[in-house]
Amino acid sequence: MTETSTRKREIGKERSGAAGSGGRGRPRRPPGLPWILPALVLSVGLIYYAIGYTAYISTLNWDGISPDPLHVGGQNYTRIIRDPVFWATVRHTAVFFVVTFVVQTLLGLIFAVLMHARLRLAALYKVIIFIPVVLAPAIMAPVFRHMFAPDGELNSVLQHVGLGALAQPWIGQTSTALPVIMFITIWEWTGVTFVLYFAAMTQIDPSVLEAARMDGASNLRTLLSIIWPEMRGTTIALGILGAIGALKTFDVPYLVTIGGPNYATEFLGTYIYRQTIPLGHVGYGGALSVILLVVALIVAVILQLVGRGREAR
Amino acid sequence: MRLLLTQKARLRPLSILAAATLAVTTLAACGGDSGDSSNAGSATSGTVNWWGWTPTDTATANTYIAAFNKQYPNIKINYKLVNISDWVAALRPALASGKGPDVFDMQPGAYVTQFKSFAVDQTALAGQALGSDWKTKVAPIGISGLSADGKLTALSVGQVYAGTLWINADIFKKFNLRPPTTLSEWKQVCQVLKRNKVGCFVQGAAQEGFDQDTLQSIANSVQPGLWTKVSNGEARWTDPGIVRTLAIWKDLFDSGIMQPGAVGYQQYPDANNDFLTGKYGMVMMGTWYTQYTTTKAMTAALSAAGVSGAKPFPILPVAFPDVAGAGNISEMYGDADFGLAISTKSKARAAAETFVKWMATSAEGQQVIADQLNDLPSLTSVTPKFDNVELVDPAIQKGPVQQLITKASAVTEPRQALLSADVQNGILAAATSVATGKASPQDAAKTLQQAAEAAGVTFK
Repeated sequence: MTETSTRKREIGKERSGAAGSGGRGRPRRPPGLPWILPALVLSVGLIYYAIGYTAYISTLNWDGISPDPLHVGGQNYTRIIRDPVFWATVRHTAVFFVVTFVVQTLLGLIFAVLMHARLRLAALYKVIIFIPVVLAPAIMAPVFRHMFAPDGELNSVLQHVGLGALAQPWIGQTSTALPVIMFITIWEWTGVTFVLYFAAMTQIDPSVLEAARMDGASNLRTLLSIIWPEMRGTTIALGILGAIGALKTFDVPYLVTIGGPNYATEFLGTYIYRQTIPLGHVGYGGALSVILLVVALIVAVILQLVGRGREAR
Repeated sequence: MRLLLTQKARLRPLSILAAATLAVTTLAACGGDSGDSSNAGSATSGTVNWWGWTPTDTATANTYIAAFNKQYPNIKINYKLVNISDWVAALRPALASGKGPDVFDMQPGAYVTQFKSFAVDQTALAGQALGSDWKTKVAPIGISGLSADGKLTALSVGQVYAGTLWINADIFKKFNLRPPTTLSEWKQVCQVLKRNKVGCFVQGAAQEGFDQDTLQSIANSVQPGLWTKVSNGEARWTDPGIVRTLAIWKDLFDSGIMQPGAVGYQQYPDANNDFLTGKYGMVMMGTWYTQYTTTKAMTAALSAAGVSGAKPFPILPVAFPDVAGAGNISEMYGDADFGLAISTKSKARAAAETFVKWMATSAEGQQVIADQLNDLPSLTSVTPKFDNVELVDPAIQKGPVQQLITKASAVTEPRQALLSADVQNGILAAATSVATGKASPQDAAKTLQQAAEAAGVTFK
């Protein structure tokens, strides 16, 4: 046993003694409750109370305003299982997550590598890549609606370059509406992926890269065998953020396509809104919200476990 | 003693939490509906907040308010225009919180169901304004649709009727076209316009209300009265007539009458703006579009659509074509466009009643409504004074507009009053799934029938 480990155990004993309660002559643990009370009231009052209340109303058949809601137990949940639109939202969310995560990761990584390559006007490119992140979707949605309209800019460009056969009503048909929503999301969020990768790459020991070059590794080999493995933590964090973001997706599909056409861009968030507000099925919307919460927790736990498992290796 | 202090110290935070909870609960209780009319305020002064989705432009609303203020200068009316797609989302929490409007628009059908509990019963107010025989003095369609549970939730300001196409007369004149009367003529008109790189017919097929209009018109061409029968449960949505209606609806998309991407379009603002900016020759709109026959409203609408310095063009109402080819005239249908409801939580109820009474029952108020040509007035004794109205091209518009008003005033078929929000949602799902080829007309009709049954509609 080394001297260092012995010392660590002693410190541990001292700490556990100080933390023990009631011992005569030992320092009392300072009462913490009053200090955390404001935060506790806020979190319990606003978040956990809201979750609990949502779980309660998910057992009601209620329009949200009438004074006599009907208790229906788990009926809302059994209805959800038979609801084809719900399963469509799950499919859309899964496809949306996979596509946006993969493309954003790829683009973010490429941009980050390029920006580390001493490009001219690199600062300008960084700003251009990041600007979409700070633009509110509510501002950009009308722009995209116009751009992808049948007589919009995209079709106009296609016609002018001789690709008029490809012109189509992008957000007005089920086959292309979801890809448009994914494109907008990728455009909006690639800046974040790029910034995180760019920052993570500054942490790589330059001597490792230098050693790789001396060993004759090509740029691609260096990227795949050294840089990419070093980015694992960042990629997992982005995966968690992307998954939670996909589950929470609301603004872009609601503002650009209102979940349509024919539910082609309906996500859990837009469906909860549709059921709760326009249709007044607050209980059903509550049940959907509870399911969304449970799924989000499961996804976060899985991604955390995957991340820890890889780190342990 | 020390033990006691410790317990107190431990209990203090809990007591603070309990007190905070009690305070929140008490405050929430304060926000509840008292429904008390004893503190109604003054009937001739005060501030009344009016929320509505219509009039769809604040200029028209301000015209009403200016006319009202000539008679009641001490009542300030604040009009807040809320887009119809945001209406439920905005109004529900506003009314529930007690911080919402004193007066709000009400429409027959789903809105009456959703907001009736927040609306004061206006039966007595109507009697007070028009006498005990008040029902004989107003359009009956405006009473039935706005009544629920024996309560008149709102006084109808005016009616709207749908089942008409509106055409851009300049475009039709330029290409020497006549309004279509059959499906094949409609297709021919569209072919001519497309050859000349002009859009033919534009529809916001992503919005249920306007899909219903087109479907109801098709159904009236297939079998008059069938739509009303299925709406109130006397026939089923799987009726062969409805299946045929959906098949014709699909044909409108397949034959290129509908614009590309129609199922991704909103009627407002997309289709409306496209028609008003001259991109399309036809649009499915009702009598509320009569307002755009006037130079003033057309100019304002063009400006709202983003066209600066544009010259207003004449628009004309035409009958919906006999798309089924069965020889039936596709009759119009209508509802109260909007009634004005008074919030049970209004703190200026007396002033709100004065405003609603003036708008819905006074000859002066109804004349202003009539002359805007946005709604047909609720009082049967009032008609638009065309001397007060400046049409874009009176020579070609005056006759058709007057005919439209005369025809509409005889309509008895309801438009949306019989449909709940769930059934309307089911109709939208059926319409878009057929249009996009995701379901056959038969399957869509079957799904719609199931949706209507799940929504509680009882079928014979």
